[in-house]
Amino acid sequence: MVKFPSEEWVKEYMAKLNSNAVYEDAAKNWEGAMTFVVHKDAAFDRDAFIYLDLYHGKCRDARFSLTESDFPVPEYKYSGPYTNWRRLINKEIDPIQGLLTGKFKLQGSMMKVMRFTKAAKEMVNTTAMVQTEF
Amino acid sequence: MWFFRSPEIVFGEDSLSYVSSLEIRKAALITDRNLLGTDLPEQVRRALPQGAESIVIGDISEEPPLSEMTAHLDQIRKFEPDWFVGVGGGSVMDTAKILFCLYERPDLSVYDITPLVKLGLRKKCRLLAVPTTSGTGSECTWAAVLSIEGEHRKHELASPEILPDCAILDPALVTTLPLEQTRNTASDALAHTVEAYGSAWRNPFSDAFAEKSMELVSQNIMGVIKDSGNVELRNRVHMGASMAGLAFSNSQIGLVHALGHAFGARFKTPHGKAVALFLPHVVEFNYDACPERYDKLNRIVPAEYRGVRLSDSLENILKAMGQARSGKEAGIGESEFLSNLDSLVSMASESTGMVTNPKDSGSADLRNLFVQAYEAEAS
Repeated sequence: MVKFPSEEWVKEYMAKLNSNAVYEDAAKNWEGAMTFVVHKDAAFDRDAFIYLDLYHGKCRDARFSLTESDFPVPEYKYSGPYTNWRRLINKEIDPIQGLLTGKFKLQGSMMKVMRFTKAAKEMVNTTAMVQTEF
Repeated sequence: MWFFRSPEIVFGEDSLSYVSSLEIRKAALITDRNLLGTDLPEQVRRALPQGAESIVIGDISEEPPLSEMTAHLDQIRKFEPDWFVGVGGGSVMDTAKILFCLYERPDLSVYDITPLVKLGLRKKCRLLAVPTTSGTGSECTWAAVLSIEGEHRKHELASPEILPDCAILDPALVTTLPLEQTRNTASDALAHTVEAYGSAWRNPFSDAFAEKSMELVSQNIMGVIKDSGNVELRNRVHMGASMAGLAFSNSQIGLVHALGHAFGARFKTPHGKAVALFLPHVVEFNYDACPERYDKLNRIVPAEYRGVRLSDSLENILKAMGQARSGKEAGIGESEFLSNLDSLVSMASESTGMVTNPKDSGSADLRNLFVQAYEAEAS
């Protein structure tokens, strides 16, 4: 079990993503980095950031920080409060419905990302493959 | 947490007269080239409130590219309408939705029409939908399909803010719909029903509309094909098609539309004809993901067309309607199909229908479904 969010969780997540053939197929034409932003809330007292360098169905680099400026500016940011991340990882929230109901926010070019909804969903599904403790 | 969204729906005989009670001062009527030669746009114009001004944008073609959709935007801006009125089928409705958005927000790109962008519409005007076909359901949905010249791709746009304010379902406006369009649009309605009912985002509201739309469409479409001027039968199919639109708009499409959009964009196949090719094959592919649901829909199909499985029944209905049952039968040459297969798979895999289909699928599944639908033998 690895704690979310943490450097250990990010490394485990990267390994799971890189072994996920469904993600690889869905994201085979994807190029661009994404940052998961975990906002502080009543259950978690600070913001946290997970930077993912994604390229053609693989994650080339994944890093964790409590400071966003530690990373290059990503093409996309997927952000939400810690409690919603916990629900997402526990599969209590669908990642796309989470956006449509305002539980998460996505910043970046909508034109591009709407062609990769399957890859986006699979990225989030992969979070559930990590044995996570909160 | 989820939503149910719908326009105000006015239905039944003489429902067009309701338009006169709307507070319309200046209407931009959007219609298509075929309808411009008929009395239908004029009927709608006559139904506007007394004293209302109007302009008619009437050169929209079937599944128009963006440049054609927006060719008259400057003219519309000078006219300053307070209502857009779409009079026609799905292409016209989608054009009206896109023009409505770009008129209100000239600073936006069409690609901003996603549920993730706050558009802030309805500061200047509203949107009225008067369908003259029974099947696309666009009058009741927050989706629009967009083609770009030279791309051979259909972009799926969606925003709750482009949902029409009001939809008029007057059966008198569909009694002259030609047989080919009757067949194609009804096939689309069946696809909406089935996709909504199996969708990963299905919900009790979308279920209710899907069940009723299956009843209204499947039990009356053959009567319409045999007796096209029968207003009561037309009315039932017309309402059923809009209910199918409400069903999928509130639960989303699936693989039938992912495949159909790709196929239609590549081969210029009319949308309803394209989805009809894939519907039974996708249902069979999905069956083990939602057998009880498909069996329940199957029990609604009239006994004379009902097979053991929903996929059999849909095949029977589509065949009885005279719909092409394979890509070959639809006139697509084998070498043309095979040379485009990779790009078809790639395009379909980018559809939002990939994430809401009841069963997960990958590129290999899409390829198999394309091949199955292309090579299907008419039985």
